[in-house]
Amino acid sequence: MTPKDKLLIRKICAHAFLIGFIALVLAPFVMVVTASLRKGNFAPSRVFLSPNEYSLEHWKFVLGVPYEEVVNAATGEKRVIRAGTPPLLWFWNSIKVSLIASTGIILLSGTAAYAFSRLKFRFRKPTLVGLLILQMFPLLLALVAFYVILDFTGQYLKWLGLNTHPGLIMVYLGGISSYIWMIKGYFDTIPLSMEESAWIDGASRFQTFVRILLPMSLPIFAVVFILSFIGYMSEYPVASVVLQTSDNWTLAVGANSFLYEQEKLWGRFAALAVLSGVPITVMFLLCQRFVIGGLTSGGVKE
Amino acid sequence: MSEGSVQIKDLVKTYTDDRGRPTFTAVKKINLNIDNGEFMVLVGPSGCGKTTTLRMVAGLEKISSGTISIGERVVNDLEPKDRGIAMVFQNYALYPHMSIFNNMAFGLQLAKKKKDFIQETVSKTSRALGLDSMLERKPQALSGGQRQRVALGRAIVRNPQVFLFDEPLSNLDAKMRVQMRSEISRLHTQLGNTMIYVTHDQVEAMTMGDRICVMKDGLIMQVADPLTLYRKPENLFVAGFIGSPPMNLLKGKVQKRDNGLFFVESAEKDALNLPLQGRLEPLAAKYVDKDVVFGIRPEHISNEPQEGSNTPVTMTVDISEPMGSESLVYMKAGTGNVIARIHGENLYHQGDKVTVQLNLDKVSLFDPQTENVIR
Repeated sequence: MTPKDKLLIRKICAHAFLIGFIALVLAPFVMVVTASLRKGNFAPSRVFLSPNEYSLEHWKFVLGVPYEEVVNAATGEKRVIRAGTPPLLWFWNSIKVSLIASTGIILLSGTAAYAFSRLKFRFRKPTLVGLLILQMFPLLLALVAFYVILDFTGQYLKWLGLNTHPGLIMVYLGGISSYIWMIKGYFDTIPLSMEESAWIDGASRFQTFVRILLPMSLPIFAVVFILSFIGYMSEYPVASVVLQTSDNWTLAVGANSFLYEQEKLWGRFAALAVLSGVPITVMFLLCQRFVIGGLTSGGVKE
Repeated sequence: MSEGSVQIKDLVKTYTDDRGRPTFTAVKKINLNIDNGEFMVLVGPSGCGKTTTLRMVAGLEKISSGTISIGERVVNDLEPKDRGIAMVFQNYALYPHMSIFNNMAFGLQLAKKKKDFIQETVSKTSRALGLDSMLERKPQALSGGQRQRVALGRAIVRNPQVFLFDEPLSNLDAKMRVQMRSEISRLHTQLGNTMIYVTHDQVEAMTMGDRICVMKDGLIMQVADPLTLYRKPENLFVAGFIGSPPMNLLKGKVQKRDNGLFFVESAEKDALNLPLQGRLEPLAAKYVDKDVVFGIRPEHISNEPQEGSNTPVTMTVDISEPMGSESLVYMKAGTGNVIARIHGENLYHQGDKVTVQLNLDKVSLFDPQTENVIR
């Protein structure tokens, strides 16, 4: 076999493996999309459907378009199906909560990370280690505490209690410890001489933070934003406990409401799941251009 | 006019940890007076406190005790931007997300100066540094030497009384370093400002400084102009630090013999016996039968007698480094090798017996305990 043949075989094998692997990874996703396009409410199990099994009924439901359904096959009696609470409202709630919470996360963890990275104060190291340990415990463990706290605040500030979006955002903002560590680590790689140069030029600490450090830290902030956005879009346990009326539900809670004990409406659930992927994809595409590492290259000689 | 003069009085810097407990004293009470318009070089090995001193003058490190005055005004409590200084960092510290123009204009923009003024000042400086064709580029698109020039331009635009340089040439390759060295010297001649320059490279120190301050372990070893440091080192450290290859320092005793005083090396084999005549006699007279260190530079050992009183010594060659017009010859002596700079295109081989002439007029004697020169 000539070397050229060997190379060709290697290429074919590599491509075949990659295609197979991607197919394996994408299969569950395709199954969910298929389930959302399938007539009736079957659990996601098929990748391909025969032509007469397709139906847009679940997407019509999710997008708030009323449609007719045959109730009694014998008489041809029809019934209009329309959602009680439009799922698009849940969609909007999710985006609202996730955007605001992610922005809050960036503000809080960014400034905290600056303090940990650049300032000297008592208990700096122990606090950092404490944060490290804290981040190992998922937010979910404090569910009971969240309920009690929100119940308490709701008595004094109506808009910040149980079953409110600000209340939920406040709980979400508590998950900053891992993000503080990420941003602090990134700040540590930016040489102090960059800021010192700005101080000599006449910038105050705050001006230096905003005009020098932040533009240089866009990659890590984009990453933190994306990660927290995805996290909050798909968060279920805390949202389901905090939000009680269906008007307030986020997408995750709303989708779960279709899984009744006796009749799990997988079709609608699948359609909502696919819908929740859209803002995440959009956010990824938007933030991608900021996550270009090496923004600091050229400013400093390593 | 003394606006650019710098006075450092009893300066101490002690580092503390997060809880405020002292950990390390980097600068241990130094005093230094720098005249207006002088190019003062702070030189010394790593960890000697030179960068810490510079940063305290800049205001980037808090002063533990003592005062620093710029232009006869005590600046201890002043912010860096109010001290009338500008600093060029070792790693350039250019803002990577801004264009070269904005990098240089940043300080002026912060001070809310008029746009025309900023435009004019930056253009003038960049033209003088040869950067006016790259003003819209970002630092990534520039070479190391160009980036360092931008850092220089940024400092010049600030129109300071004192320029501070923190090892600015360490990150450049050898060729660029030589070029930038002369550019900075030329800048000093043109602008006339006081410049404080920190380096660990004694060649840079010798070629650029009006005066050199040699530091070690947080203390000043000697402050003098380059030639004085070379000819009249005040202690063992300065003697061994200035000059490349370094001064030969031989350990031994002063012996009184019938025909005068002699330096006898403290070694069993290959011990040198060198006469201490002329200028050296009264110095050595105080140290008869005591330990001394005999110091002579490689340049003052040659194969032909130099001006002044010489003494011939025969030694065996250990290593020879031919450099073309001269050779660095390492010869075996009692307590180590003696390096000689021998002119000519001769080749020396290991084992050769060579007779060299030591120029006794250029010898320095040191007290091994105090490490000071014997006067």
